[in-house]
Amino acid sequence: MNLKISALDYVQEVQNGNISAEDFTAATLERIHSVDEKLHAFLSVNDDAINQAREIDKKIKSGDKVGACFGMPISIKDNMCIKNSKTTCASKMLENFVAPYDATVISKLKEQDAIFIGKANMDEFAMGLTTEFSAYGPSKNPWNVDCTPGGSSGGSAVSVSAFECVASLGSDTGGSVRNPASFCSAVGYKPTYGLISRYGLISYANSIEQIGPVTRTVKDTAFLLNMITGLDPNDNTTVDNKNEDYLSGIDSGVEGKKIGIIKEMMAEGTDPAVISATKDAVSKLEGLGAICEEVSLDMVKYSVAAYYTITATEAGSNLARYDNLRYGYDFSLEGYEFNSYIQKARKNFGPEVTRRMIIGGFVPSAGHAGKYFLKALKVKNKLTKEINEAFKKYDLLIAPTVPILPFKLGEKIDDPVALFLVDINTVTANLTGKPAISVPFAVSNGLPIGIQLLADSMNDKMLLQAAHALEQTVKLPEVPI
Amino acid sequence: MTKIGLEIHCQLTNLESKLFCSCKANYRQFEINENICPVCMGLPGSLPRLNQDAVKKATMIAMALNCSTPDKIAFFRKNYFYPDLPKNFQITQLNIYGDTSVGGPGSIMVGDKEIRITRIQLEEDPGRLIYEGSSSKNQITLVDYNRAGTPLVEIVTEPDFENPKQVREFLNILSDLLENLGVSDPSLEGAMRADANVSIEGGKKVEIKNIGSFHDLEKAVHFEITRQESLHSREIEIAQETRHWDDKRKITISSRSKEEALDYRYFLEGDIPWVTIDPAIQEKLKSEMPESISSKKERYVSKYSIPNQVADVLSSDKFYSDLFEDSHTESNAKEIANIITTDLMGLVDTREKREASKITAIHLRDLADAIQTGKISRNSAKNALHEIVKTGKDLSQVMSDLDLGNVSDESELLTVIKDVISEEPQAVEQAKSNPQTINYLVGKVMQKTKGKADPKLTLDLLKKQIE
Amino acid sequence: MVTEEEIEKVAKLMKIEVEDHKEYVDKVHAMIDYFDILDSAGVDDEEISMPEIPITALREDKHIPFDEKLIEKLNHYKGTYVRAPKMS
Repeated sequence: MNLKISALDYVQEVQNGNISAEDFTAATLERIHSVDEKLHAFLSVNDDAINQAREIDKKIKSGDKVGACFGMPISIKDNMCIKNSKTTCASKMLENFVAPYDATVISKLKEQDAIFIGKANMDEFAMGLTTEFSAYGPSKNPWNVDCTPGGSSGGSAVSVSAFECVASLGSDTGGSVRNPASFCSAVGYKPTYGLISRYGLISYANSIEQIGPVTRTVKDTAFLLNMITGLDPNDNTTVDNKNEDYLSGIDSGVEGKKIGIIKEMMAEGTDPAVISATKDAVSKLEGLGAICEEVSLDMVKYSVAAYYTITATEAGSNLARYDNLRYGYDFSLEGYEFNSYIQKARKNFGPEVTRRMIIGGFVPSAGHAGKYFLKALKVKNKLTKEINEAFKKYDLLIAPTVPILPFKLGEKIDDPVALFLVDINTVTANLTGKPAISVPFAVSNGLPIGIQLLADSMNDKMLLQAAHALEQTVKLPEVPI
Repeated sequence: MTKIGLEIHCQLTNLESKLFCSCKANYRQFEINENICPVCMGLPGSLPRLNQDAVKKATMIAMALNCSTPDKIAFFRKNYFYPDLPKNFQITQLNIYGDTSVGGPGSIMVGDKEIRITRIQLEEDPGRLIYEGSSSKNQITLVDYNRAGTPLVEIVTEPDFENPKQVREFLNILSDLLENLGVSDPSLEGAMRADANVSIEGGKKVEIKNIGSFHDLEKAVHFEITRQESLHSREIEIAQETRHWDDKRKITISSRSKEEALDYRYFLEGDIPWVTIDPAIQEKLKSEMPESISSKKERYVSKYSIPNQVADVLSSDKFYSDLFEDSHTESNAKEIANIITTDLMGLVDTREKREASKITAIHLRDLADAIQTGKISRNSAKNALHEIVKTGKDLSQVMSDLDLGNVSDESELLTVIKDVISEEPQAVEQAKSNPQTINYLVGKVMQKTKGKADPKLTLDLLKKQIE
Repeated sequence: MVTEEEIEKVAKLMKIEVEDHKEYVDKVHAMIDYFDILDSAGVDDEEISMPEIPITALREDKHIPFDEKLIEKLNHYKGTYVRAPKMS
């Protein structure tokens, strides 16, 4: 069984009767059992997957209507609710939390006969970019198991690049889909804010985050978007995309498109291999008829500070509900009064979450909001204005997804500010609500490099067309696992 | 001078659903924790879904209190930990980025006194706590979340009240107004709650929290003023503090818990975009608003010459004014107003009686017509009304069942009149010299006919007989 | 510069018990100090903006009960009440 096929190829193969959903699912589970001990992409695996695949095969055989996924195994980051399944956010705090409802993306994929093969590892509550802050241990990069796969949707990216599933859903608050996609040589997508419903996605920083696919190809991302985007009455922040078909016209190319190269995202400290890959990508796009020139977004310098101020504030509030009273883990109330119980119970948060909660209490507090939180909101506003100006001139913007190559596990975990700076190229899309994609583009010394493209809000379709064009210009080596 | 300011919390009990989810707004009919869902329980991943009608109704309240209504409203998070708060923050409104709560500054006249409204905000009610256990040692806290997420409108006033009487008058106007708008039933337990701040001349401001009804609000304010005046007269300084209303003992008690100044870390709720209410929609809301109590009253007085006091009573109570509106015509309006305010009100003076009452506008119209055409006397009409309220039967049915029709047969009446004349020679003489005293004789006829004699006919016949 | 006392106060506000003191304080310091860069962004005159939704796009007021007995899936309940520790 070839597990390396794309989502669209999988659908084709099943439709042609060359493979069955059951066989493919069984092979996928076998793959997980053989490699995941090493990679740790999954926090839990769906025991019922084979039965579900069998049911779908029955539907196919009997000629019943079958959803567009035809039993395709998909992994889901463990911060999205699947009814009656454990959803832990990779936290000890939610060790025993079983979601009583489906996230909107889950309902939509269920309707399309997707199979949720397992819940993917992540940094606890999505706070991190290496998966090292998972309470259940880090994931490993399949390109080099000593390296981080990136994060926070590390499990999603690993599971896709190591063929433990066909596609995955992650979430992207400041690069959490694009960063691990770049580190693992997968396609990672952060849609326009509001394009995909967040209902059932456990909030970290709700005003800027989005669910996004991790796939093998840009076309697969478009295929998934066709199923999961659109207005949702359960999420007041969703926008109407008029049932856009992201796959149609994906071959349109970039001829005549104006592309701005973001100067501040190739600044000092960027790895030379990353710079040269980006330059190469620019010349490839020029070769396809795009017009590229440098553009400056002055506020990018302040974006990471603004990003962490805003996310810590929202996280401090979003995570307040974890007081272990209504759900959580086993910890008796006996002998405690309210405050002492909650403080004790919340010791189950890991160190990074704890740190960010303290920051989240500090930066918006009465005496400090003016210096930190309000300024951060204003930087967000000014950055948005700057990028809107840029999009008046350019159709797309380009930059490396991450300024550095995948680094060793443990290398930066003790230096929070060093970790901050790894986010410098990805947070802009979140702070401004713009769509952005990371396309696998190069491999340097056996480590992947992704190129990031950005477009204006609701120009997701054009962004995918450009990303597809860029993707077609390179042939990358296969993951060495 | 004494200064009193109020913060009134009013549940929008007449809405179908909660503020951010589709659970029932009026939670009172449910078993414990049966009116909950992932959203109002703040489960991980759930998002608030703002109720359109809640925004509309809150805007109407703002309009009715002459407050400005912005074309864009925003929601904020108020962050603090408490077991009745499933998310450990409350979604509420604030005016830190301009006037973005449903109602901006406004004012309302209470008698001759203008009371300024600071703002009106829409927010979610927390759940309900129950403390169990006899001593503080074995005490446990139980939580019923049925109420969590109920739409709550908070009305904040400036400290413009000078005495408890003004407070009471304001509360009367407010509850009538809320009922008239059809947004809330102020008589439901817990539907109206309040905090107050009170300061007397030269004293510091004292906050009183936890007042569970309008009734107690007036009492609490009264108690607090007396307490402060007593301290003042003994030259004891009045401390700036928060006190709680003890509704069993009917006193305010200092909240001695070492409450550190809480920092609520207010910030914008990202899950709810700013809601735009453009001028066209505001106009439409205004036009859909029920007629205000004061304009109703004015109309009753000017159009139907209903006496001021009767119009006052009639217009301020939605139950009665609705009945009046549905039953009156130009010619019977005064009669109907009269029936409602002198007879009906006595029959349905409690909430239970109102709900059980079977009276309709048609009954009232029939009754007024019968009185005006002399088919029934006022006295019998009262009896008929009693029966109608109880049974809901047609007036004609009731009249024949109880034999309430007027005696309007001339010969029958004449017999009675002749009896009265022979029994009351003195009164007859008096009536001859002073025609106004004839009413005494009419009364006697009425007595003999058990009030069923047609009064006009009786008078005519009596006059003729006496001459 | 953020003081240790401030961090402790905030930790309490957030219901976080900080045990490994130095480790936390140092890292939190480093993170907050980095935010000082915001002072030089020159954004004082900027406004604060948010997405908008017209009132007509909001949910209609309908009562739709949740399809399951949610309370039975939660922790710490006594009878049908949720239990909480005693209040201080």
